[in-house]
Amino acid sequence: MLQWAFDTMLGFGLLWLAWRALNSSDLFKAIVLFIAFGLLMALAWVRLNAPDVALAEAAIGAGLTGALLLAALARLGAMTDQNVSGASAYPVPSAQPPAGSHFSRGLLILLLSASVAGMAYAIWSLPSYATGLSMDVAAHLDDSGVGNPVTAVLLNFRGYDTMLEMMVLLLAVLGVWSLGGLQQQPEKPVAAVLETLSRFLTPVFILAAAYLLWVGADAPGGAFQAGSVLGAAGVLLLLSGWRPRVRLMQWPLRLALTAGAGAFILLGLLTLLLEKQFLTYPVAQAGRMILLLESLATVSIAVTLAILFLSVSSGHKEKSGKGEKK
Amino acid sequence: MSSLLAIDWGVIAILLPLAGGTACVLWPALSKPAGLISVTGVVLAIAGLGWRIMENGIYRHAVGGWGAPLGIDLFADGLSLIMLIMTALVGLGISFYARRYFSPRDAVRFWPIWLFLLAALNALFLSADIFNLYVTLEMTGLAAVALTALTGRIDALGGAMRYLLATLLGSLAYLLGVALLYHDAGSVDIATLAQRIQPNAAVWTALGLMSAGLALKTALFPLSFWLPPAHASAPAPVSALLSALVVKASFYILLRLWLELFGDFAQGASMLLGLLGAAAILWGSLQALRQTRIKLLVAYSTVAQIGYLFLIYPLASAGNGIAAGMAAYLAFSHALAKSAMFLAAGNLMLFGGHDRIADLDRAVQRLPLTVAAFALAGVSIMGLPPSSGFVGKWLLLDAAMSQGRWDLAVVMIIGGLLAAGYIFKVLGYAFTQAEVPHDARAVPAGMEWAALLLAIGAILLGFMASEIFALIAVDLVVNADEAGTVWTA
Repeated sequence: MLQWAFDTMLGFGLLWLAWRALNSSDLFKAIVLFIAFGLLMALAWVRLNAPDVALAEAAIGAGLTGALLLAALARLGAMTDQNVSGASAYPVPSAQPPAGSHFSRGLLILLLSASVAGMAYAIWSLPSYATGLSMDVAAHLDDSGVGNPVTAVLLNFRGYDTMLEMMVLLLAVLGVWSLGGLQQQPEKPVAAVLETLSRFLTPVFILAAAYLLWVGADAPGGAFQAGSVLGAAGVLLLLSGWRPRVRLMQWPLRLALTAGAGAFILLGLLTLLLEKQFLTYPVAQAGRMILLLESLATVSIAVTLAILFLSVSSGHKEKSGKGEKK
Repeated sequence: MSSLLAIDWGVIAILLPLAGGTACVLWPALSKPAGLISVTGVVLAIAGLGWRIMENGIYRHAVGGWGAPLGIDLFADGLSLIMLIMTALVGLGISFYARRYFSPRDAVRFWPIWLFLLAALNALFLSADIFNLYVTLEMTGLAAVALTALTGRIDALGGAMRYLLATLLGSLAYLLGVALLYHDAGSVDIATLAQRIQPNAAVWTALGLMSAGLALKTALFPLSFWLPPAHASAPAPVSALLSALVVKASFYILLRLWLELFGDFAQGASMLLGLLGAAAILWGSLQALRQTRIKLLVAYSTVAQIGYLFLIYPLASAGNGIAAGMAAYLAFSHALAKSAMFLAAGNLMLFGGHDRIADLDRAVQRLPLTVAAFALAGVSIMGLPPSSGFVGKWLLLDAAMSQGRWDLAVVMIIGGLLAAGYIFKVLGYAFTQAEVPHDARAVPAGMEWAALLLAIGAILLGFMASEIFALIAVDLVVNADEAGTVWTA
């Protein structure tokens, strides 16, 4: 009964937060609501017995995405302040619908309601419990080198998908760089509280990341969770004014960004040459190979997330300069 | 020889561009050579894969050694192979164009993203797993958006943003369909799903979500609103990649799902897709006719030509093999012609500093190769013999008439006439003198030849229709024993 009440509250809370976030005319408020939504969503995943997803949702969905959104908002503010006509360049959604669009709005609402109803019916009609591939995964878990079925699927059974996902992360950085690149910025002094806090928290974050990485072999955790916690440490350091040295921003940065993807590629080539089978690990070595892959992937994920934050929060000078040229 | 045949060319076609792209990130100074070597290597790998498929039948490789449905299988039959050949050849042409097109600053950004896009396309055409298809689709979409925004110009950023939102919405709808199918049938492997799937509410919803998402990503009218600004504002080689290859990726997934999973029970939905295709032909062609800029004209022409691809669905009752063959052939033909057109448009833009059709100012005298490329590609788009566009559209017309679908046949003919209208509009201005003369800049010969060779490819493909259809018919031609003797020989 208590669980049922909690789940109901959670469900309605999620819907309410989502609606408020979408409907808010103040972008800052919308982002804060979005972060709260992410945290509640993580709770929902816990209730659904998916702690791995919950960890990722809390760290990436609520934490890093929130930080990126706030950084983007700060930049948007800086741009509109410089532009006199800024308000028209970046319209904030207004509560009033434009005139004459009542018919199309009505049609849109009708279409959306119909598709939501159809989807709800389809989901309702599904069997409440489906085994899917979990029996298959359990049967082969002993050969996978790890004890956590989620890690076994991500790094072994479907390691090829994860390899491509690492490329997606790399592509995200390349995409952001192609938009404006990364500018060097001097260190900024910040409030003493933030500095003390980051000094205290960074080692804790690193320790937590290492724990998540190690424990991922047998319990919820793994490269994505560890990487996002480590990335959060990086964001915290960047927020407290720390900037990596110029030398570090050249090939060491590129090496860290490509470490995870590169490890997958090299392992793929090696297994193809030696075993004639792409990404097939020898059973005896599988555990060690997965740990190696996950460690390098953790570094890449963390650096990717921190660099995305740095790229979004820096370099709005060049961007607005381009706008003026046009 | 047999040792060459035993090489897993499919895996190499994915790994090579991934390694090349990663190398570009690590050593930006080596981007261009790394890019050209990788793209050439992919062409060789696809040739090897084609040879292997001709000898041994369908290609299959169990990644990780697990085998579907637990693991992921790479899979290539005739249809996949044609799409792979299309990607490799068109990609090679565009790469040699891009070699001269980009400034050193933009080249460093272009090559790694293009190589990852190439890897994603190869992986997509080699996939037989609906979740793996999602991953490759997402990778394709992100790379395409990043390429669109490459120049950082305001219009390119606007086009890219719109493209990003459309492509993400499409992927999410597709992913929701994947989740429903997995919950319903307990597998993400297409072959396993095909055995288990029954038409019920979940499957119908998945069909609707996946088809809508993929149609959005393929820019099927009226979901094509994002295509013209994105394709017209991107740099010329990127426009060529987007129009020739990227929209074909989502089209291929839809076609594959339809052939293997949904086609048997979704006749009504096939009719709807065909109807939208017919509307796309008319609307896209009329819009193309109205444009005053070449790149927008070519982009709207893509909207129209995508419509032809969707006419396959209502006409597919002729049999899956023939439908797949027509779709693959039309897609290949369009990829060659449209890439040539965008590259030619890029040359005209570089030459005159603008792409206003009315001010082409005797381009035919000053850039004869480029105008020839545009004209030859136009011949294929209009569907005049002996081009591949003619053969593809003729087969489609023949299927429509033999099934009594006169409405579709009429739309196809009108579409051809409108295409002739917009192509001759460009060519006409290329022969006349503009009122105000413009300064002209030199265009490197390599860029002119890249466009021309792709256009010649679109014509030559017209003579190879029987070979393409023979490839589609590739099945498990060799039984296990014979395969064994091939391996040991």
